[in-house]
Amino acid sequence: MTTASLPAPAPRRAPGFFEALAPGGRRMLFLLAMVAVCLLFAFPVLWLGLTSLRPGYAVFYVHRGTDFTLENFHEVLGQQVVLKAMWNSFAISTLATILSLGVTVTSGYMLSRFKGPIPNTWFSLIYVFRCVPYVSWVLPLYFVTRALGIFDTYWGLLLPHVAVHVCFFSWIMKGFFDGIDPSMEYAAMIDGCSRWGAFWRVAMPAAIPGLTALAILCWLYTWNEFLFALILTAHETPILTVVMAQFVHELGMEWHLMSATAVLSLGPALLVTVFGQKYVIRGLKV
Amino acid sequence: MSSPTATRRPFLGLDEKKRFMLALIAPAVFALVFFQIVPIFTGANASFRDWALHDPKRTWVGLKNYLYVLRDPEFLFVVLPNTFGFMAASVGCSLGLGLALALLLNRKFRGRWLVQTVILLPLMVAPVIAAIMIRWMFNDQFGIVNVVLDLFGLAPVAWLTQRWTAFLAILITDVWLWTPWFTLLLLAGLQSLPPEPFEAAQIDAATPWRVFRHITLPMLRPVMVVCIVIRSIDAFRTFDIVWTISGGGPARATEVFSIYAYVEAFQFLNFGRGSAAAVIGAFIIVFFAMGLYRILNRWVEVSK
Amino acid sequence: MDWKLTALRRTATAAAVAAAVAVGFAADAGAQQRELKVGYQKHPIQDASLDMMEKWAKANNVKLTRIPMAYSVFMEKVTATLTSGAGDQFDIIWHNDDWGQLWEKWLEPTDDVAGIGNVDKWPLDAFWSADRKLTVVPMAHTVGTFFYRSDLLKPEEVPKTFAELVATGQRLQKEGKVKWGYVGGMAMNNTWFSFWWTMWANNCDILKPLFERDNAKLKAANFEPAITEPCHREIVEYWWDAINTHKISPPGMTAYTRNEANAIFMAGDAAFTLVDSTHFGEFNDPRRSKIVGKVAMAPFPVGPRAQKPTSWNEIWGWGIPKGISAERKKLAKEALAFMLGDEEGQMEMWKKTGGPPPNVRLWDKIAAQDADFRMLKNAVFDQKPVTHSAYYFAEWPAVHKAYSDAVIAAMSGKREDIGKVMQDNVEKIRRAATGN
Repeated sequence: MTTASLPAPAPRRAPGFFEALAPGGRRMLFLLAMVAVCLLFAFPVLWLGLTSLRPGYAVFYVHRGTDFTLENFHEVLGQQVVLKAMWNSFAISTLATILSLGVTVTSGYMLSRFKGPIPNTWFSLIYVFRCVPYVSWVLPLYFVTRALGIFDTYWGLLLPHVAVHVCFFSWIMKGFFDGIDPSMEYAAMIDGCSRWGAFWRVAMPAAIPGLTALAILCWLYTWNEFLFALILTAHETPILTVVMAQFVHELGMEWHLMSATAVLSLGPALLVTVFGQKYVIRGLKV
Repeated sequence: MSSPTATRRPFLGLDEKKRFMLALIAPAVFALVFFQIVPIFTGANASFRDWALHDPKRTWVGLKNYLYVLRDPEFLFVVLPNTFGFMAASVGCSLGLGLALALLLNRKFRGRWLVQTVILLPLMVAPVIAAIMIRWMFNDQFGIVNVVLDLFGLAPVAWLTQRWTAFLAILITDVWLWTPWFTLLLLAGLQSLPPEPFEAAQIDAATPWRVFRHITLPMLRPVMVVCIVIRSIDAFRTFDIVWTISGGGPARATEVFSIYAYVEAFQFLNFGRGSAAAVIGAFIIVFFAMGLYRILNRWVEVSK
Repeated sequence: MDWKLTALRRTATAAAVAAAVAVGFAADAGAQQRELKVGYQKHPIQDASLDMMEKWAKANNVKLTRIPMAYSVFMEKVTATLTSGAGDQFDIIWHNDDWGQLWEKWLEPTDDVAGIGNVDKWPLDAFWSADRKLTVVPMAHTVGTFFYRSDLLKPEEVPKTFAELVATGQRLQKEGKVKWGYVGGMAMNNTWFSFWWTMWANNCDILKPLFERDNAKLKAANFEPAITEPCHREIVEYWWDAINTHKISPPGMTAYTRNEANAIFMAGDAAFTLVDSTHFGEFNDPRRSKIVGKVAMAPFPVGPRAQKPTSWNEIWGWGIPKGISAERKKLAKEALAFMLGDEEGQMEMWKKTGGPPPNVRLWDKIAAQDADFRMLKNAVFDQKPVTHSAYYFAEWPAVHKAYSDAVIAAMSGKREDIGKVMQDNVEKIRRAATGN
């Protein structure tokens, strides 16, 4: 319990609790903390997984009894609409990610590189309209997509998603570009590059890690999004979260099927996160 | 696009630089106008009218809907305090926890990617499903939470029947859902910090707490400001988890602003009044968040 | 600029005409295979009703398209479609007494659907339009039903009064047969399964005059809430005692919806519940329930202020939007008439789903061959007086919520404060009813 046990050749300083422990104990403590953190974060998801494996009569009292079954998954996968919805959700998430990033990367670049009334107005605009709660405008949004003839199509869901992402992503993209030294772009422009050229050939490559990060966040968000999908689609374009919600009806809910579908939808999300994760952390530099 | 400025005809009297600026935001402006601004103005228009969903007369009623909401004691003395209380508690807790986890993950250790993946799990579950799941978990009869309490010899709690326990259940869910978001952004911020100040601190043999307090925190503040402001706006609008877990109950004890507007617009089908409530809420949060942004930014300047 | 605008307008007109022609052709081509689109909820009863229409559709070369919708937005979304007059979304929609009055303006009269004379008149009260035209075709009855565990109690032991319900519940709990005596939904929108059935069984109601459903008379009485009446205070106190004093109901019950209550009942943890009869099928489904074959129905227990058991009786139905073409209206009516006349299909619907069929002439026939239906008929349909489970004015959802908030607030406080909390909420309920 003395400072002598510290491996660091550091000069005198009061030992904290953590430093005062023997190295082995410290590692144990750290390990314990990590396990506790993981358990807390994973528990509801693990519980969902466990729930989905329980037969219909035991799906509420999950902790009572030990009978497990794959019947719920079998039943859910037997419904064509689930597979169709999975494909639609996948396509919409991917397309929304590409579109949103394509639109906001330029907008963020503008906010980062210029000063004056135009960027100021634009920033205030996206900020103010982000503050309006969905309640007042999802229904008008339904009428707008109906009027444009894109209700219940990919476009009718994609474009509103892009609109929602404009604020947050522009703000974060501005951060990325702020962190990239603009002198390279000036140099490129002196060498005869146009402004577009400087943006495209110099600034963009430097922002790729950030883009990847946002892409994953955006993909997950769209994959799990419920409200827009609920209002803006019908039977032509089934979306996974909406199909899940259809297990709730006026007389109750089929929680065993709902949880099984939720676990199925976790799969692609997990894949995207695991493969994209190292880019997320490396790339998100606000 | 790359021809020199001088040869171009001025368009609407704008110079080449302004045109470039506008071109950069043009697609975003298009999406924003059609799919956010137009619907928002349609909704705002409804707030001045007699607009029941089942019987849209659309007659102009002026500020009647606004006056109703602003005079409603439930809105002023239950809903608004609940909303701000929830916002402060949610943002505070998930910021603190998210920062701690980001600091932890910023160290190098074996299995870090696994811990990182696990912490991101809440982002992968649809919030609707997560909220239903958690409602069952907090049930007093079959919920796992009381089973665990029982294991530790604690008395079971009927979570959703009293104001503060219901509030706590909602808060725990929200913090679980949003901590990963903070962790992700703050960790990215941490990893982008330049190493020099930390090396200097090591030479001075500063304690970890002093390093955190005087180097990490000030340098991380710009990131934190963006996170806090964006998350505050979203927490103010929180709807789905409160709706699913407590429905604003017992009675109206945990009702937040979005539920008030939703119930008026879609349960009572009074779309005009629901829109008025939403517009009032939007004004409150626009000014609140702007103030918050200013204060936090000043704090950043001072700390530099 | 002017010529440009004119040119633009001309182009636009041309495009619109072209589009209209194209659409017209498409419609012509589509007329070969006629189609009916049905907006509904995925529920066994609704699917069974659609199966009957499917038989007609097959025989008449019509494509019947089922469009399932999530319950959370069903009413809102269909209402928005109806009021915008759009005729392209649905030809037949699921209709419910909860929003019967909200749609009366937007639905086609159904008085001329063949077989409509064979349905029960009482539940139709929610569906009359301003000019006394019917706007619904019944699909199945949804009636509140008192369920008990037949493996624990003989029919003659089933409680007949509120007091017996408490005593029997406590006895079964003490004997270790069940964990709880009674469990039922209480939270908003499931008010029926606790407060309301006891309210009617205690000769009480929400607004004065009691049991009045004529909106003009209610308005003349200025929507006076009845919640401070002794008959009403008694039922709130009854539930307060059931949870806190007699402990026959779980402590978390004030926050329960029907989902939680059913979960506990189907796990075998409670002796009694009250819920829609349509759950009978679920209670007896071995994949969903642990009490298969152990559930029976009985008339409601009676409160101190009543002599005979009450019942309530409502329907689910189908409606036809006004906005669709005359030809489609005709087709939709034919499909619905076939459903109403399909005796075989209706009997099968009862057997498969527990949904009581719309054609009341069939009831005696089914009762003669089916013991479960005999039991339901005795528990609900044969019991008089009958009440309505809701009110039928546009502000009703707001009144329902205000009422629910009042009683839940009273339940969450001290017993001696119940009267005061109810008194404090009188004006809130009236304010909800009058819309300002």
